[in-house]
Amino acid sequence: MIVSWNWLKEYVALPMTVEQLTDRLTLSGLNLEGFLPVGDDVAIDVEVTSNRPDCLGHLGIAREVSVLWERALKIPAAKPQAMGSEVSQITSVTVECPDLCPRYTARVIRGVKIGPSPKWLADRLRTLGIGVINNVVDISNYVMLECGQPLHTFDFAKLAGKKIIVRRARAGEKFEAINHQVYELAADTCVIADAERAVALAGVMGGADTEVSETTTDLLIEAAAFAQLSVRNTTRHFNLHSPSSYRFERVLDPEGVDWASRRCAELILELAGGQLAAGVIDVGQALPPRNQVKLRFKQIERILGIRIVDERVRNILTALGCEETHACGECVKVVPPSWRADLSREIDLVEEVARIHGYDEIPEDAGVKMVASTRTAEDRVLDQVRDSMVAQGFDEAMTLSAVDKEWVATFQPWSSAEPLTTGTPVLRRANSLRQSLLPSLLAARRTNETLSNSDIELFEIANVYLPTTAGLPDQRRMLGITSGHSFLELKGVIEVLAATVAPGTELSARADDAPFFESGQGAELKLGGKLLGYLGVVSQAAREQFELRSDTIVAEIDLGLLVSAAVLVRRAKELSPYPPVARDLNLVVDEKVRWADVEHIVRWGCGELLERLTFQEEYRSTEKLGPGKKSMLFSIQLRSKTGTLTNEEADKIRETVVKSLGIELGGQLRA
Amino acid sequence: MALADFLATLDSLAQEAETAFLAVGDVVALENARVDFLGAKAGKLRQVQKGLGSVTPAEKPAAGMRFNEVKNLVESAFATAQARLSSATPESRESVDVTLPGKPRRVGHLHPITQTIRSMKEIMGRLGFTAVEGPEIEDEWHNFEALNIPLVHPARDPLENFYLGVAKDPPAEAGSPGPFLLRSQTSTVQIRVMESTLPPVRIISLGRVYRPDTADATHYPMFHQIEGLLVDRGVTMADLKSVLRMFCQSYFGGEDEVHIRFRPSFFPFTEPSVEVDMNWRDAQGNAGWMEMGGAGMVDPNVLRAVGYDPEEVTGFAFGLGVERVCMRQHGITDIRALYQNDVRFLEQF
Repeated sequence: MIVSWNWLKEYVALPMTVEQLTDRLTLSGLNLEGFLPVGDDVAIDVEVTSNRPDCLGHLGIAREVSVLWERALKIPAAKPQAMGSEVSQITSVTVECPDLCPRYTARVIRGVKIGPSPKWLADRLRTLGIGVINNVVDISNYVMLECGQPLHTFDFAKLAGKKIIVRRARAGEKFEAINHQVYELAADTCVIADAERAVALAGVMGGADTEVSETTTDLLIEAAAFAQLSVRNTTRHFNLHSPSSYRFERVLDPEGVDWASRRCAELILELAGGQLAAGVIDVGQALPPRNQVKLRFKQIERILGIRIVDERVRNILTALGCEETHACGECVKVVPPSWRADLSREIDLVEEVARIHGYDEIPEDAGVKMVASTRTAEDRVLDQVRDSMVAQGFDEAMTLSAVDKEWVATFQPWSSAEPLTTGTPVLRRANSLRQSLLPSLLAARRTNETLSNSDIELFEIANVYLPTTAGLPDQRRMLGITSGHSFLELKGVIEVLAATVAPGTELSARADDAPFFESGQGAELKLGGKLLGYLGVVSQAAREQFELRSDTIVAEIDLGLLVSAAVLVRRAKELSPYPPVARDLNLVVDEKVRWADVEHIVRWGCGELLERLTFQEEYRSTEKLGPGKKSMLFSIQLRSKTGTLTNEEADKIRETVVKSLGIELGGQLRA
Repeated sequence: MALADFLATLDSLAQEAETAFLAVGDVVALENARVDFLGAKAGKLRQVQKGLGSVTPAEKPAAGMRFNEVKNLVESAFATAQARLSSATPESRESVDVTLPGKPRRVGHLHPITQTIRSMKEIMGRLGFTAVEGPEIEDEWHNFEALNIPLVHPARDPLENFYLGVAKDPPAEAGSPGPFLLRSQTSTVQIRVMESTLPPVRIISLGRVYRPDTADATHYPMFHQIEGLLVDRGVTMADLKSVLRMFCQSYFGGEDEVHIRFRPSFFPFTEPSVEVDMNWRDAQGNAGWMEMGGAGMVDPNVLRAVGYDPEEVTGFAFGLGVERVCMRQHGITDIRALYQNDVRFLEQF
C-alpha cells in the first residue's frame, strides 16, 4: 500500500519526520518497504499483512498514526446533498446470488460534467502511481484509496433496462472488460449485469460498454460486498489482478460500504456537478450486531511476560476504535470496530495491546528454564554416515525431491508402483516424487562432466517416496552415492560405512541383474541378512540416458536399516597380549568359485583364532594355472587369547584350512 | 659378590658405554661399540649379567631392577648414536625437496546447508530443544487445518501448493484422508508431535519444504526450514525473545552483543505474531537489522486442535529459513547454486 504524506495529513497531524513515522509504523505492524519524494509529496510504501485490510486506505493508516502519537483523527462526514427524486424510482437492483454478493448498494447522479480532476486530486493519485483518467473515475479510485472500499461507476444511460442484476454468469457468456479483452466466463463467476448482459466482473473489473466516458452524464455508483473466494477465483482464473480485487480478497468493513458510496457521491457533486437522487438502494441482510470480546488483564502478563497497567490497556483498545462495554479490576469487555474483523478473541486484543504498547518493552533476558535435550538414534547415525562419507572423500550433494517421470523407471528397486506426482511440476518437467536418489545424482554427475570437473564423488542423504494403498506414502531415507572409481572401491566405502555404524553385523553381497547395472556388475547388499541396498556399475543405456561420458559406479543404501543396526555405544573387548602369526595362502580354484565360499571355509577352519583375513589379489593365466582356473592370494592372521601360538600350531591350522578348501571347493595351493 | 660391588660395576659400565657411543664417528665404530657392549655372547653387558647369579637371593630383585635400567640406558645410547649417524650421513638417503607439493588424501565436504542445519541444531540442543523430523508429504489437516489456516486463507490456494495426484488415476480409496500435498512448512511436524505428546514440548522441527516459486537467484521451489516450539505452563513472549537472542548470540554473535527486535506480523498459527530481526554488523562495520524469520505465541486454536488446553499451557514457535542464513553467512548470492551440485562450489565449504 502506497501512502501519500500530503494526503495522510488530511486526517491526522504529522508532527514527525518521514523517518520517524515509518520507523514507528514498522514496529507496530506496517512494515516499511521504502519511500521516495514525488514533487512536493512523499510516497511511502508500507506492507499491509492480510489480516489488516483496514490499512488498505489512507484513513486506516491515519488511524494507526493517531493511536501511536495520540492525535485526533478527522474523518470526513460524507454527507452528500440529494436533490432529485428517489433512487428507487430510477433504477433497481436484484441480487440473485447473495452467497457471492451479500450486499449491493447503488446511488444515481444525473447531469455530471466529465472533465479533468483538480490538481490536488490528480497529484495525490500520481504520488501513488495511479493513472489519472477523468474526474469521476479518479474519484472512485480516490475513495477506494481513502477508505479501502472499492467502488465502481457505471454510465447509467448505457445500462440496458436501467437496472442492475447481480448473478452467476451463464456458461459461455462473453464479457468485454475495460481493457478491451473479451473473456469467456465460467458458470460460477459472479457478474454485475443489466437487463441484457454482464457489465462487470464483480469486484474485479468493469465492462467496456458501460464505462464512464467523455459523453457520460448520468452515473450509477456501485458500492458492494463480494465473497472473498469468488473474487479470488475470478482474479486467478483470468489473471486479472486489480487494486479492487486485492481488497475484495480480504475481509472488508461491512459497515463501510455506505460511507464509501456517500463519500464518492459527495466528491462527484463537488467536482463534477450533477444531481444526486435521494436515498440509496441497499440490497442485503441487516448486519448482525458485533460480538463483545473480553480481555482478562492477567492474560497480558501470561502471554507477553510483561505487565501493562490496566488503564493503558483500556486506552489502547478505545483509541483503536473498540467500544468499551465493561471494565473492572479483572477484565475489560469491548466491541471491536466494524473494520477490524480480525479482532474476535481475547488473544487478538492481547496482540493489539502488545503492538501498540511496543514489543521493545518485552525483555530479552528472561530466565528460561533449563532442560536436557536428547538426540535421536537416527540423528546420531546420520551424522556418523555423513562424517564417514566425507572422510572417505565424497562431497555432499542436494538434489530436488521431484524428478522427470522418465527417471523413475530408470532405477526403481524399492517399489513397482507408479510414482506420486504433483499437479504442477516442482521445477520444469520434475513432477514425479522420486523413488531413488540415483537418477538425480547421475544428473548432478552430468552437470559436473559438462563443467569439466574431475573427481566427481558425490553422496546425498534424502527421502524417497513410495506409494501406498492407504494413508501417507512410505517415506524412506536413503543414502545415494555416485563415484568414478571402481566397483570394489565403492564396495569398500560401504564396508567401511557399515563397520563404522554397525560393527559386527555381517555385510553380504550377491549378484543382481537390474538393467540399470552393466551385466554382471551389479549387486544386492544385505546387512545382517536384511536388504540394505544396491551397488553396481551403471549400464551403457542408463549412461546414455543421462549423457554421461565416463564410467559411473553407484550405490543406494536404505538408511532405516542402518539406523536400526547401529551400535551407538561401543563395548571394549579384552585385547590379547600374545603375538600374532601370519600365513599367506595362494589358492588355485575353478573360475566359478567365489570369494565368499573361500572366506566361509577359512573362517570356519580357523575358528576364533582368526584375527584377520585379508584378500590380496586374483590372478588368471591359462598358461600357468590352466584353463578355467584362477588363483586367489590371501593371508590369515592368527592370534590366541591364552598363549603364544607356535609356528607348528599355525601350520597345522593352515593345513586344516587347505584340506577343507580342497574337499569343499576343489582348491589347491599353487605350486 | 656383594650387592654394592655389583651395582658399582653396573654404574661404571653405564658411564663407559655412554662415553663410547657418544664418541663413535662412523658406522664401523658404531658396530664395534655395539659388539663391545651389547654383543649377545661376549658383550660387556652380558658379562655383567653373569654376576647376577652370585648376588644373594634377597638382594636379587634390587640387582635385577638396576640391571634392567642400565641395559635400557645402554640400548638407548646405541639408538641415539645410530640415529645421529644415519641422519648425518648425506649419501645414506636422498634429500627431499621440501617445497614439493604434498600428496593429499581426498576429503569430501558437507553441503553448506547441512553445515548450517548442524550448527543450528547443535545450538538449539544446548538450549534444550530436541530435533524431530516428519513426513514431507502431508495431509491438509496437518499442513493447514490444525495450523489454523482455514479454507478461505490464500495459503490454501491450489496454485500456492504442490498437491499430489497419481500418474495413472487409481480407483479412489474409500475413506482416504487425501488430498495430500508436499508440506509447505515444517510446522506440520510440530502438530504431529503435539498430537502424540503431552506438554511440555520443546522441539525443533526441520527439513525440506516446498512452495511453487519460480526459481531465481533468491527463490527455489524447495528449501529448508527450522522451526522451534516450546509449550509448557507459563511460557511467555519474553521467553521467546530470550531464546532467540541466545540462539543468535551463539550462532552469529562472536564478540558483538546480539539484540533481538520484534516487528508485528501475521501468521495463522501464532498470535501475537512477529517478524524477528537481529542487529547485524557487516565486514565494513555497517550496522543494521537482519531479518531472521517469523515467530509468535502458539495460537489458542492450534493448542486446542492438538488437544491442549490454552488456559493451562502457553507456547511459542519460531521459524527460520535455513537457506537465507546459510547464504548470508557464506556469501552465496544465488540460491540455485545450492542445488546445482557443482563440485567446485561444494568444495569451498
